[in-house]
Formats: sequence, C-alpha cells, structure tokens
Amino acid sequence: MNILIIGNSAAGTAAVEAIRTRDRQSSIVQLTDELHPLYSRCLLSYYLAGTISRERLQYREMDFHERMRVQLHTGKRAVELDTNRQHVVCDDGSDYLFDKLLIATGSSAKLPGNIPAGIQGVCVLRTLDDVETIREHVRYARCAVVLGGGLIGMKAACALRECGLETKVVVRSKRVLSQMIDDGASQIIGRRLLENRIEVLTETDISEIRSQDHRLVGVETDQGQVIPCELLILAKGVHPNTELIQDTDIRKRQGIETDPYMQTSHENIFAAGDVAEAFDITTEEHAINALWTCAVQQGRIAGLNIIGEQEAYDGAVGMNSLDICNSPLISYGITSPKDGSRYQMLVYEQPANNVYKKIVLKDHRIKGIILLGRIDNAGVLLSLIQRKADVSAFEHELLDDRFNFAKLVGYGDASVLEQYRQW
Amino acid sequence: MKQIFCHIEKCLGCKSCELACAVEHSLSKQLVAAMREPVVPKQRIRVELIDEHGTLSRYRTLALQCRHCGNALCVQACISGGIRKDEDSGEVRINPEKCVGCWSCVMVCPFGALVRHEGIHRAMKCDHCPDRETPACVDACPTKALVYLEKDGVRTRDVVL
Ligand SMILES: Cc1cc2nc3c(=O)[nH]c(=O)nc-3n(C[C@H](O)[C@H](O)[C@H](O)COP(=O)(O)OP(=O)(O)OC[C@H]3O[C@@H](n4cnc5c(N)ncnc54)[C@H](O)[C@@H]3O)c2cc1C
Repeated sequence: MNILIIGNSAAGTAAVEAIRTRDRQSSIVQLTDELHPLYSRCLLSYYLAGTISRERLQYREMDFHERMRVQLHTGKRAVELDTNRQHVVCDDGSDYLFDKLLIATGSSAKLPGNIPAGIQGVCVLRTLDDVETIREHVRYARCAVVLGGGLIGMKAACALRECGLETKVVVRSKRVLSQMIDDGASQIIGRRLLENRIEVLTETDISEIRSQDHRLVGVETDQGQVIPCELLILAKGVHPNTELIQDTDIRKRQGIETDPYMQTSHENIFAAGDVAEAFDITTEEHAINALWTCAVQQGRIAGLNIIGEQEAYDGAVGMNSLDICNSPLISYGITSPKDGSRYQMLVYEQPANNVYKKIVLKDHRIKGIILLGRIDNAGVLLSLIQRKADVSAFEHELLDDRFNFAKLVGYGDASVLEQYRQW
Repeated sequence: MKQIFCHIEKCLGCKSCELACAVEHSLSKQLVAAMREPVVPKQRIRVELIDEHGTLSRYRTLALQCRHCGNALCVQACISGGIRKDEDSGEVRINPEKCVGCWSCVMVCPFGALVRHEGIHRAMKCDHCPDRETPACVDACPTKALVYLEKDGVRTRDVVL
C-alpha cells in the first residue's frame, strides 16, 4: 500500500508511529513545505526565550524517518489534489499517487486585515523560520508589542520579556487567555504578568502601524495611545490550511470534516490535527481544537485506520497546560459558559497564594476545569470529563487538593480499577 | 515487562515506600545525607486513601505510582519528546534533558502519577529504580503489599479490593 502524508508535525508524526507499530511493509511518503526536519512547534517560544537550544526543538531522534522507513520530502508544497485519480501535485511539479492519504497540513497564523505587509519588525510566531526572523529583530529591539492574548500570544510575550525586551500585550477582550480561563483566574494571571513587567492593555486593538523606511517604529491603538516599538507579534489566532481541498468534493466547514475514524467524506482520505474538525466531548459539537495533544491523538487514530485497524476516536477535549510566570496553569473544556444558568460552578481561591480552581458542571457532569497554582492530579479530573462520569456522589470533594485516583476507587468506580490492572 | 502492584488489603499506609523512593532518587541514596541535599529529593509513589463513604468510617490505602500504560497519554501529550515509551521494555521514561516543565503530562495522566518536581522544574514519576533489581518501594514494604510482577503473572485477585 502507498500511504501519503502531507504534514510533518504533531499529527503526521503520530500517524507514522501508529502505522509502524503494526505495519512495516507499506510505503510511506511524507511531505512538508518547510525546509527543516521534524521539530516541535510548541517549543518555539522556549527557543525564542533562550531556555532551550535549537537542537532541542527536535522531539524525535535524528534518524527517526529512516528508522520508521518513511521517505520525507521537505520543501515541497502540495498544491493540487485529484480525489478520483488519487493523485497529489506539488509546487515544484513533482507528483505522487496514493492508496491512502492523510491531510495533516495544520494551520497558519491569522493576519489582521488592517496591518500592511512587508514591514520589518512585524512578525508572526508559527514556524522555525518565523522564530529566526523574530530573533534577528530581538537583537536590536528595545520594546515589543504582542497583539492577541491567547496561548501563543502569552507564550510569545513571556519569551520576549525573558529576552529583556519591554513587552506589552494588546487584547481586544476583557482579559488574557479568554478562551482558556475566566475572570477570577485572569485577575491572578494579570497580577503575575505585571509583577514580571508585562503590561496588558485590555479592550484595545491596534488601529495603525507606524514605520520608517519599511521598519516598524511604533503602533497606535484604537484608544489613541501611541506605543513606540521595534517588534510586533501578531497572535490573533490561527486558521486551518484547507487550500488543498478547495476544488475537491471533500466536505469541510471551518476545518475538514471527519468521522470517528478521522476519515473525510472520501473513503481513502483522512485528516487530523489543526486542519480537521472532530467531535468535542465537552461542547458536543464538531469543531477544530488546534492543540498539540488533540493533533497527536487524531494522527494516531488516522494512522491506525489507514492500515485497517478499526479504532475510533473518543472525541477531543480542549485542553491547555502552561507555566506562566512560574505559575502552573491547566484548563479543560468550557471554563466560562456563555449561558451560565444551565451550568453549576464550583470555585476555590486563594489569591494571595496565586491559587484558583474552578469546576464547571452540567447535569452533574464536568464540562470544564481551571487549575491555577495547584495542578496535581489534574488528569484524574480529566478522566471524569472523558468518561462523562456522574460526579454527584463526590461533587463536594472535587476542589480538594487531595482529590485523587484512590477517591474514585473509594466511590466504587469499577472501571478505574480495571484501568489500574492493565497497562 | 514487570510492573509494581499493591495488594490493597495488605497496605497499612505506613509510607515506608514513599521514604524509600525519595532516598533512592537522591544523589547520595542515604537517608540522612539525602535530607541535606540542595535539591530535596522527592518520592514518585504516593500513599492514597480509599475512603469508602467519604466519612473515613471505613478506609483502606493504596500506594500508587506510574502504571507505564500501553497507550500512554503522557507520551502523546508531551510536546518535547521528553516522555517516551521504551520500545524494548515497554517502560514509559522521562528524559530530564528534554523535559521543559510544561506539565502537559500532568494534564493527561489519569492516575495523577506524574507530578512536578519544583526544585528542578521537571516532571517526574516512577522509573522502576533502574539501578536496582527490585524497586526500592517494593523492598521497603514491611507487609509485602507492594509486589513487582511480570504482566502475565498478575491475577485479578492480586490487585482487587
Ligand atoms: C509558538 C506555539 C506554541 C504552541 N504551544 C502549544 C502548547 O503549549 N500546547 C498545545 O496544545 N498546543 C500548542 N501549540 C499548537 C500546536 O503546535 C499545534 O496544535 C500543532 O502543532 C498542530 O499539529 P499539526 O500536525 O496538526 O499541524 P502543524 O503543526 O501546523 O504542521 C503542519 C505541517 O503541514 C505542513 N504543510 C502545511 N501545508 C502544506 C502543504 N500544502 N504541502 C506540504 N506541507 C504542508 C507544514 O509544513 C507542517 O509540517 C503551539 C503553537 C505555536 C505556534
């Protein structure tokens, strides 16, 4: 069988590993439009901050593709897909036939419409090349502005601060990490950021760019404030790389639609990762969860089904973990529901110790969690979300720091003991 | 691969395993010297309370550590390649040279067996004591509640309540 994988990142790599656990025979060709060998995108901010070397971005051994018997073709951008002939053409004219195709093309940084292209110092943070460009500007820059307060924006801001730059974050919403946490947690984070001299301007947008000789010298906000800066990072979210399927009959909404086997509407074509929509356990809708863990899990499922192992995906849970200004923060699912009346919230806070915990329940099932400062046993709570467990018997204990695996055993959950015995 | 199991009926909750584990993972591997090390050694096994009615009227204890899962979620969640499954032994291992302390593994472990080592800002968990024949916790258990068994040697009644 000829397997073609487009994408050499979280999802594509997980698919390769899954395929090779059971199938050493099939030919695997992997394409990427980047020039670099495999690296972890999530580590880019650590490399920018100087906490890790460029070599440590590699999250598998140097000879990974060789050992996995994969032909990796770098610097090739797939531009055409013929679903009938099962044929892909690249920008350099080379072409590939496949029996099974995995589209794991990920996503790209969104570019706000009002910001002109081609100005030195205006950057995005998505690829290794992006980081090398940012590093060049960091050499001479004194001040940086980050537009967007999501996961990538915050990671970028913290990294630039570590590089010694004066750093400001401009966010349109009322708080940073608005998808991930609620007001309570963001107050603590906001204070931690300030202590680390990262200033956050909320309910603000950038209205204009100031430049001299095509070099950035400052930004103007819609509040009329002018911020001199030599570096601007655009972190307004990502959009899925679906161009390849534009003229095909493969179904997509925002991302490529998939079934529980990560199969698209075409039986020999699969999709996984940031480019794919999959069922979300907490929202009970199909959506993109542009996250590493989801990409790996989906890539694994796609890989197994490509070789005919019928394994279904349980569904995604949006989840994030980061260490922000030395405070560990983990969140899952729906953390500040829009229609609060249908949900029940449990909160525990110790602002003086930078601790904040929240559980969001609906019909006695956990739909979302925030853990700031105390994250031990976080995964035990996640398992309750994933199993859609009725938690009424121990609701009052969920926020206790000692809530752990044995608690579930004590409450007579037989399935957890089964889990303990297996490995 | 062998795995550590706990006979819940025999576990007294004495925490000898926790102490032995911390000492084994110290630089000196000696209790008194270990306590004086600059980075205080931490245990990778934890005695947890199985409280049947949430009232402590009837409880038992379970000494819990990494289960070295087949389809390990921590390996999938790891963003740095710092947690990998050893292809030969099947053990799940942390490489402290690669771990960046993002706690993605803590986020997904259904046993809560991965914890932060704040002293070195790395994730840590049971490693089956690579320098020993039998893990230190098993040797230290006074009631032989902790056993180190080959997968096929495990009968359900060895590990059920
Ligand atoms: C700075 C940063 C920090 C992050 N931190 C975290 C974090 O802490 N936790 C978390 O969960 N997530 C994090 N993420 C998100 C995470 O990196 C992504 O969810 C994950 O990389 C998605 O993997 P993927 O394989 O779907 O796609 P991508 O990583 O986007 O990779 C896509 C691949 O497809 C290739 N490609 C795309 N189009 C084509 C084409 N037409 N032809 C050929 N090749 C193509 C690309 O070259 C690339 O190899 C972070 C992202 C960034 C940028």
